[in-house]
Amino acid sequence: MLPAVELRGIVKRFANVLANDHASLSVLPGEVHALLGENGAGKSTLMQVLYGSYHADGGEILLDGSPVHFANQRAAIHAGIGMIHQDFMLVRPFTVAENVVLGLDGELQLYEEKRGILDLAGASRRIEELSTHHGLQVDAGARIEHLPVGVQQRVEILKLLYRNARILILDEPTAVLTPQETAKLLETLRSLAAEGRSIIIVTHKLHEIIEVADRVTIMRDGKTVATVAKEDTTEAELARLMVGRDVLLRVRKSPLKRGATLLTTQGLKVNDDRGEEAVSGIDLSVNAGEIVGIAGVDGNGQSQLVEALAGLRPVMGGQISMEGTDITHGTPACRKACGIAYVPADRRGVGSVGTLSIEDNSVLCNLGAFTGKFGVFRDRARSRSHARDLVARFGVKAPDIRFPAGKLSGGNLQKMILGREIMQQPKLLIVEQPTRGLDVGAIEGVWAELLKVRDSGQGILLVSAELEEIRNLADRILVIFEGRFMGELRPEDADDETIGLMMAGRSGKTRTMTHV
Amino acid sequence: MFNLFERRLAPLDSPSVVIASTLGSIVLALAIGAFLFIPFGTNPLLAYFSLFESSLGSLRGFGMTLNRAAPLILVALGTCVAWRAGFGFLGFEGCMTIGAAAAAWFALVGVSEDGQGILLPALLFWPAMLAVAFAAGGIWAGSVGVLRTRYGGNEVLISLMMNYVAIFLVQYLVSGPMRASGSLPQTDRFPTESWLATIIPGTRAHAGILIAVGAAFLVWLLISRMRVGFELVVTGLSPLAARYSGIDVGRRYLLAAVGAGGLGALAGLVEVLGTQHRLMDGLSGGLGFIGIVVALLAKLNPLLIVPVALLYAALSVGADALQRSTGVPSSIIFILQSLIVLFVMASDFIRYWRPRLPRFGAAIVQEER
Repeated sequence: MLPAVELRGIVKRFANVLANDHASLSVLPGEVHALLGENGAGKSTLMQVLYGSYHADGGEILLDGSPVHFANQRAAIHAGIGMIHQDFMLVRPFTVAENVVLGLDGELQLYEEKRGILDLAGASRRIEELSTHHGLQVDAGARIEHLPVGVQQRVEILKLLYRNARILILDEPTAVLTPQETAKLLETLRSLAAEGRSIIIVTHKLHEIIEVADRVTIMRDGKTVATVAKEDTTEAELARLMVGRDVLLRVRKSPLKRGATLLTTQGLKVNDDRGEEAVSGIDLSVNAGEIVGIAGVDGNGQSQLVEALAGLRPVMGGQISMEGTDITHGTPACRKACGIAYVPADRRGVGSVGTLSIEDNSVLCNLGAFTGKFGVFRDRARSRSHARDLVARFGVKAPDIRFPAGKLSGGNLQKMILGREIMQQPKLLIVEQPTRGLDVGAIEGVWAELLKVRDSGQGILLVSAELEEIRNLADRILVIFEGRFMGELRPEDADDETIGLMMAGRSGKTRTMTHV
Repeated sequence: MFNLFERRLAPLDSPSVVIASTLGSIVLALAIGAFLFIPFGTNPLLAYFSLFESSLGSLRGFGMTLNRAAPLILVALGTCVAWRAGFGFLGFEGCMTIGAAAAAWFALVGVSEDGQGILLPALLFWPAMLAVAFAAGGIWAGSVGVLRTRYGGNEVLISLMMNYVAIFLVQYLVSGPMRASGSLPQTDRFPTESWLATIIPGTRAHAGILIAVGAAFLVWLLISRMRVGFELVVTGLSPLAARYSGIDVGRRYLLAAVGAGGLGALAGLVEVLGTQHRLMDGLSGGLGFIGIVVALLAKLNPLLIVPVALLYAALSVGADALQRSTGVPSSIIFILQSLIVLFVMASDFIRYWRPRLPRFGAAIVQEER
C-alpha cells in the first residue's frame, strides 16, 4: 500500500542541536501510528516540519507518493494535514462553532453563496453532523471556557474533521485526560482510522501505544531508530529502544515506617487567581516516613493547595500546622524554617532562574547558609563546592556549574531542583508533578530519589496527574476533585476504574484507612 | 527578505567580539555623522579631532569632562540598582532635584550664624551632607516603592510624574522660602566650605567624580558580592522564583527604590555643590534621563558605567567647545550621540545573526553530511 505520508531523511538543525538527524517516517492510510521518544528526541520537531511550521534543512516530504513542500501551516492544512498541539489552540471566550471556523478560507466554507458572511448557523449544523457521525458529543454553541478539558479536545478534533484532514497529528493527547476520557479518545481515534484516515500520536506513554497503535516509530537523539508493529513488541522493548538501555518501570518499596505527624490542615480554603474558591475545606495529614499522594486531573485545586502549603498563596479559611505549630499565615521563608521544602511544578518559571548559573540556583532557597560571618557577603567558595556536590550527587548533566540553569534539559533541571531541596534535609518535602514532561530514564531517577527521602524518615506530599507515579510511590492516595477530596485509597486498591471514577467526581468505593 | 540573515548556531559572546562590535558601532556612527558637517564646510576629521582634543586633550577639558561625567555615573548607577531589581524607575530628574534641594538646605544651615565657618567639623560635615541628600532622594523614590508594593501602583508612570512634582517643588522653594534677596529666583551662594573641593589643580575638576567612582565600586559590591544584591537580581529576573525561594519581594523593590533615589540625589548634590554653588530652577537639565541611557549602554553593569559615562561626557563637552570654535551647532553632536546609542544597541544583532552568504550556506550542508 502506498503510504499516505512519508518523511524521508529529514534534517533540522537549531542553534546548537541537531533536532532531526535524517529522520524518516511512513504512515499508511487507515493506520494509527505512534511516534515514541524521550523529551528532546525530536518528535515534536519532526511533526512541526510535517505541519509546515518549520522548514527542514534536508530531506523530503511525500504525500501519497508525490513530493510536497509546505511554505507554512496553511499549506499543510490545505493538503489535508491537521495537528492538535499539547496545549490546545482554542480561543477561550469563543464558542465551539466560532473556534471551528476560525482561520477558514472562503473556499473551505460549506455555503458558497454566503461567501464573505460568517455563516455560524450553517457551521453549527455541520459540526452537529460531524459530531454525531463520529460520536463526539459537543454543543456547538457552548463557550470553550465552560467546557471540560476532554471536551475541548473533541473540539480540536472536530476542527480537523471540519477541514477534512486526512492525516491527524496529536501531540501528547492524553496528558490532561482522566483514564475514562483517555479510553474514549483512543476509541475515537480507532474509528477515525477505520475510515481510512491516518493518525499520528506523539507520546512517551508506553501503555497507550500498546492499546491503540498499529505501528510504532521510535526516535532517539533526533534519529528514527526503529519502526515496529505492535504485535511484534513489548512495553519493555519499546522502553529500551526509546532510552537506549534497560529501564525498570516498577519500583521496589521498603516497608512503611510511619513516624510522627508532620503537616496537618483543617478545613483549608484557598482561592485561585480569579478569586474563586479552588480548595474547599481540605483536611490532610502527612506523617514522617510516608508518601501521601494526591491524584487528580489538573486544575482541580491541587496547585492552589500546594501553593498555600508552601506559603505562596493566602489561606482564606481553615488552618495549616507543622508539628503542632500554626503556620497558616506564615511567609515562604517561615515554611522553610519549619522544615518544609517545595519542588514546584513550574520548574522554569518558579523553581529556578534560567539566566543564572547552576551555582546561583543551587543556593537559591537557602541563601542564609551561604554567606560569610555577618550574613552580608556571599561565600562563593562554599556555594561553588555545594553546587559541585549537588551536580555530582544527583547526576545533573552539565558542562560546569557556571552553566545557565535555563539551558539544562527538563530532566536535569528537575534533578537540580529536587537535589537542592533534598540537600536542605527538610522534614517534609512537597513535590508537585515531579516527572511531568520527563522521559523514562529521568523518571526512574526522580522516583528513586523520592523513595530514598521517604526511607530516611522524611515525609513527602506528592501531587501528580500521573496515576502510574502515584500508584508506584504513594503509601496513601487521596483523590482530589473540584477542591475536595473524594476519598482515600490504598495503592493496591487504586485500579484504573476506581481512581478514574473518583477523579471524575464520583466517590467510588471509598475505603478509609485507620491511622496508626 | 528574512533570508538575508540567519541565526547563528550559538551567539558570539566572547569579550573581544563585544568590544569589537561596540567600537565598530561607534566608528560607524562617527562615519555617518561625518556627513552632517559637510554643509558647514567643516572637515569632519578635523572636527572630530578638535572634539576630543577639547574634552580629553587638555587638563582643563578633561576636568570639565570629569565634572560632566560624575552626575551621569550616579544616575546610571541608580538605574542599575532599580532596573536590575525589576523596578522600572524613571524618576531620576526628580531625585536629582530633591537631592540638590536637600544638599542646598544643609549647606546653608550647616553654617554658623555669622556665615563664617561650618557648624560641624569638616570630618562630620561631609558624611552628614551625603547622608542628608541620600536620605532625601531615598524617601522621595521610596514613596514610589511603597505605592508599588502596597497598592500595586505602576512605578514607571508614578516616578515619571513625580519628576514634575519635584521640579515645581524646587521652583517654589527658590522663589519663596529659600529665595535670596535679589531679582533672581535662587538661593544664596553657599559658603565655600561646602563646595566640593578641586582635585586637579588648575582645572575645575571637583571631588564629585570621587563620589561617583566610589559609588560605582559600592554598587558593584552590592550586586555581585552581597547577599541582598543577589536577592535584588533574583527579584528582577523572576519575582515568582524569588518569592518561592523565600525572598521578600516587596521589601527588595522598596530597597531598590530607596537605593536608586539616593544615588539620583547624590547626582543632584554633585551638580549643586560642585558646579553651581547655589540652588536654582532647572538644575538637572535632562541628566536624569541621559544617565538612564548611559546605564543601558553599559548593559546595567556598574563598572562599565564609568567609562561609558566618561565617553558620553567627553562628547558633550567637546560639542560645546566645537560650537564655540567653529560655529557648528552642538545639535550635531546630539545626533551623533543618538546614533552611537542606536548602533551599539543594534550591534547585538550581529552577535545572534549572521549574513546569509552562499558560501556559509554551503558550509552548513557539508558539515551535516
